Amino acid sequence: MVSSPNCFEVPRNVNVAPSSFRRTVDAGWRAITVRVVLALWAVLGWGVATSAPTIPKTPEELWALRPIVRPAVPEGGTASKNPIDAFIAKSCRDRGLTTTGPADPLVWLRRVTFDLTGLAPTPAEQESYLEDSSAGGRDKAIARLLGSEQHGVRYGRHWLDVLRYADFDENMPATPGIHYWRDWVIHAINQDLPFDDFVRAQITGNRAAKRKTISPEGHLSEVPPRPEDRFALGFLARGATSPGNADYQLSFSAVETISTAFMGMTIGCAKCHDHFFDPIRQADYYSMKAIFDPLVVRPMDLATPEQVFAHGRSVAEHESRLQRVVEAMRRFVAPYHTQLYEERLSALPPEAQAAIRKPEKQRSAAEQKIAEDYHPILRIDPIKMKAIMTPEVIKEYDGYLKQLAALKAPEPLPVFWTVEDDAKRASEKRYVLTTGDPARPKLSQEVQPGFPLVTRPPEFRDGRRETLADWLTAAENPLLPRVAVNRIWQWHFGSGLHGSANDFGSLGGAPIHPQLLDYLAAEFIAHRYSMKWLHTLIVTSETYQRASRVTADAAIANQRIDPDNRMYWKYPLNRLEAESIRDALLQAAGTLELHLGGKSFDMGGTNVSSNRRTAYVQRGYRSYQEVMPAYLQTFDAEDGRIVCPRRNQTVTAPQALFLMNDSLTEDVSKLFAARLAGEFPGDLTSAVRAGYRQALGRHPTSTEEVRASTYLAGDPSRLKGFSWAVLNLDEFLYLR
Amino acid sequence: MTSSSIYPCGRFARRRFLHQVGAGFFGTAIGAVLAADGGNSVPRITPRARSVIFLFMCGGVSHLDTFDPKGNGMAGKLINAVGFGDNMAEMMRPVIPCHRTFTPCGKSGIPVSDWFPHVGSVMDEIAVVRSMYCHETNHFPAVVEMATGHRDRLLEHPTLGSWVSFALGNENQNLPTFVNLGRPSSAVQLSGGYLGATVSATPFQPGEVPIPNLKPPKNTSAADRERQMQLLSAMNEEFRRDYAIHSAIAARTRSYELAARMQACAPEAVDFSNEPESIRQQYGVGGADTDDFGKRLLLARRLVERGVRFIQVCHAGNGGNGAWDAHDDMGSHAPLCRQTDRPIAGLISDLKQRGLLDTTLVVWTSEFGRTPWSQNTTGRDHNPKGFTSWLAGGGVRGGTIWGRTDDVGYRAVQDKVYINDLQATIICQLGLDPKQMEIEISGRPVRLVEEGSEPIRGILA
Repeated sequence: MVSSPNCFEVPRNVNVAPSSFRRTVDAGWRAITVRVVLALWAVLGWGVATSAPTIPKTPEELWALRPIVRPAVPEGGTASKNPIDAFIAKSCRDRGLTTTGPADPLVWLRRVTFDLTGLAPTPAEQESYLEDSSAGGRDKAIARLLGSEQHGVRYGRHWLDVLRYADFDENMPATPGIHYWRDWVIHAINQDLPFDDFVRAQITGNRAAKRKTISPEGHLSEVPPRPEDRFALGFLARGATSPGNADYQLSFSAVETISTAFMGMTIGCAKCHDHFFDPIRQADYYSMKAIFDPLVVRPMDLATPEQVFAHGRSVAEHESRLQRVVEAMRRFVAPYHTQLYEERLSALPPEAQAAIRKPEKQRSAAEQKIAEDYHPILRIDPIKMKAIMTPEVIKEYDGYLKQLAALKAPEPLPVFWTVEDDAKRASEKRYVLTTGDPARPKLSQEVQPGFPLVTRPPEFRDGRRETLADWLTAAENPLLPRVAVNRIWQWHFGSGLHGSANDFGSLGGAPIHPQLLDYLAAEFIAHRYSMKWLHTLIVTSETYQRASRVTADAAIANQRIDPDNRMYWKYPLNRLEAESIRDALLQAAGTLELHLGGKSFDMGGTNVSSNRRTAYVQRGYRSYQEVMPAYLQTFDAEDGRIVCPRRNQTVTAPQALFLMNDSLTEDVSKLFAARLAGEFPGDLTSAVRAGYRQALGRHPTSTEEVRASTYLAGDPSRLKGFSWAVLNLDEFLYLR
Repeated sequence: MTSSSIYPCGRFARRRFLHQVGAGFFGTAIGAVLAADGGNSVPRITPRARSVIFLFMCGGVSHLDTFDPKGNGMAGKLINAVGFGDNMAEMMRPVIPCHRTFTPCGKSGIPVSDWFPHVGSVMDEIAVVRSMYCHETNHFPAVVEMATGHRDRLLEHPTLGSWVSFALGNENQNLPTFVNLGRPSSAVQLSGGYLGATVSATPFQPGEVPIPNLKPPKNTSAADRERQMQLLSAMNEEFRRDYAIHSAIAARTRSYELAARMQACAPEAVDFSNEPESIRQQYGVGGADTDDFGKRLLLARRLVERGVRFIQVCHAGNGGNGAWDAHDDMGSHAPLCRQTDRPIAGLISDLKQRGLLDTTLVVWTSEFGRTPWSQNTTGRDHNPKGFTSWLAGGGVRGGTIWGRTDDVGYRAVQDKVYINDLQATIICQLGLDPKQMEIEISGRPVRLVEEGSEPIRGILA
């Protein structure tokens, strides 16, 4: 592929290189052979084929499933006490890589502020960081950022990409109130809810690991869920999307999201066939699905009694108004309706007429069938009645229709869609489904609830989902901490210790830093799965503090050995995500609103005026309606249909056009310029400095000051053009 | 370059109008990549068409009232509509009369309804496929099936135009490879799916600003912008020097250059001021009913002339099912036919007189057809089991009729053509072997056209 790994995620995600077209010729035979072998292998059953030697046949053979043994921290090589640096130093030393020195303090502050909160450091924050030259200044900044509730908005959004948050999906009953789940995630991150509890709560609705206790006095009691954990179940409820039968997709979605997000396994492949590359059989997929098959979605009323009474009054008023209009209208159209109905009825065969003319209760089954077959023909639509009306009558009729359309039903009461086990569904037998089609069960392959990758069938003592959650979060399960630690690392650096964050199976390849991955996973467990502990360890490392800029000599040598910076010999350059770009624009304008929680807003719709953080922009997918705002699409935000481990970082002409010409940039440039001019009346040099500080998090160099003042030529009205240019800079868009 | 991050087996985000500059210009131009490799290892059939104009009528056009006359022998009689939708039970429905008159057109004498007199006049250029079928009975699934050739949601399948862009790239580096004109029924019709945002459709609209944000805000003068651009370029200097080894940063420079070229080229492409009045009239530009669609088709021709590969033109997308969805009354087709009849005929004859028809494949279709019976006395229901599409130019033998529906026009019964076959035909005329158009996603081969599909050889010259 001609693209570079730095700006184009595609090759990492999916192998769609043009070479795969070429393959059809020069490697076509090989491809066909491989497929035939795989097909045979699938037919012959697991473990029979021997022609694919790299493919593990048993769970034990997969590296990701081996127990986590905390590796010893390599010694020497670095003065840093942070174990991350020791592992990375060894990797770099072994390959002859020279690491870059520490980044400039303000570069680091901008990096860590965007990283931990998704926001730009304010000039005041920069000032106080520079003043606090003590060694503890950095730790203080980190503590401040991790303590800020904006941290939850940032990392909550990361996790929501993985957990497939969406305000809309094809036919998603959970849409009203789904934001409570988003808010729960953000709240959980801010509270530093241990990661195992975070997972358990979203699968079971109860974070508690011990669901029952026996007190010293000998009383047995259940541990009730924390009240807010009910909203964690939005995770499962969101998966119900299938038209007509909303619950049916829920269990598919649960299997695929949980296995990808928390286990790093592409179990989805086993929906249709035994996994070609990992020890996951088709039956495993349906066993895991059986855990969720009893679930149904149902609305949970969130209204207070007062709201309910008030709503009842509005509904009653609405209904009586509606009824008055409908009745008057029916009386008005009755002659036209009767005329058309009679015309159509008399055109039908005599036996059909006879059947339909009978009162419904007196029809035989056959007659009822006839009546139902013909009912669409006997439906008289307004357009048909209008065809036989005079213009004056139509006008009057339109008046009724307009009145009807004007009657708006009262806003529905607040509601949250949750999931619950349905006893009838729980008692039903479950089968492997041909290509996932519920109408085509393989009756010879009944499945019991269970999970893949285990040698012993689990005992479902505490309920199906509870048992799954216990197994996922058990200390013996190495997948959960490995996958989570890798995701968190990837959000800090843009690339993972294991290259493919969603696939720890054989197709995902070997991890790049297996020792460091296991060290962090072991310590993550030892630190009670504290995500804030892990963030702190990572951002205090020297590895994280390295400069991203490379001197010419080091560049040549290192680039040859490790062009993709897999060994972290420098800090990588990453483009800001869609959310951070808009947030930073609004910060520059001074209009960003930072309050948390509540309904998502429609960025492209009529309610464009919101200046809330972009994490609260509504997103999702509907085949018949554009849901994702063009802005979010342009800057690679996800619509919640896949488990997205890392956003793409495309570089496109439409992005350039947006930043150059969109009304958002225009408005922000105007406000930004006004702010600068207002803060430093008559002092363009200070205004330029403040502009650099706000947008780029640093002081301008003297060359830059001269350049800006040449452009401004003493004219304050040109500050808008200056602001525009700053917001279009590569440096504004990239985190270095 | 490991393959991973797949859900469940792999997919890219759906995005509209996103083009990755680092990988060349609009579209990942495989042809160009391979040329650079010095090989032509993509098996190429001799291409007959360079561009495609894909006319999509949103909502389901009645084949029975346009290109597939059945007479009224069965009118008023009940027929068994078994198999309609998911209903496998016996279901009697009354056939409704067709009120159109059909006239044999051109030398070929293909009968065309009085709703399409102008199209009738170019019938000798058109191959009518009367035996189309698909599986989905409802609009959105059927639109997705028609656009992508797939019904499952397991993967995010790209639309036909995206496959073509992906495989062939563009001849013009200043314009997108795949352009959409007119509101589609579904955003899926614009989606590059797992082929990536780079090959998604770029929506163009006639008018001064064919692409969003193409022009600077009103109160920014050209001179202001020029000064700002110079300042920006100077201010970027140090950063671009420091991070020169990052191809993303090089791509940033190119993205602004490309944006500038688009600012120059796109308005020129949509500027009709040099089109003579006779040509405008030919397309119905300025006509009461035909202005809108005529402009779209005139723009389509201009884009073909400028080397755009795939132009999808949607008609009657109304944010809902599409205006062709004539449940209530077939009469609602009349204005839609009026809106499209003259422009379509104008396009075909204009392409022909410019010598472009030989290399431009024009395809006309809908997501499905309509039933012989009514739900509501004078309208027709959805019919995926038999409908009509037609093709013209690009190596298609005009004046041909292919396939047949049953006596009432419910089911395709002879030489049946599935959507994949229609797509295979288009791909084939562009010089690609549909069987070879396969990519691998996480070890799993996926393709636009499923095995067993064949181009409609009987209509090819």
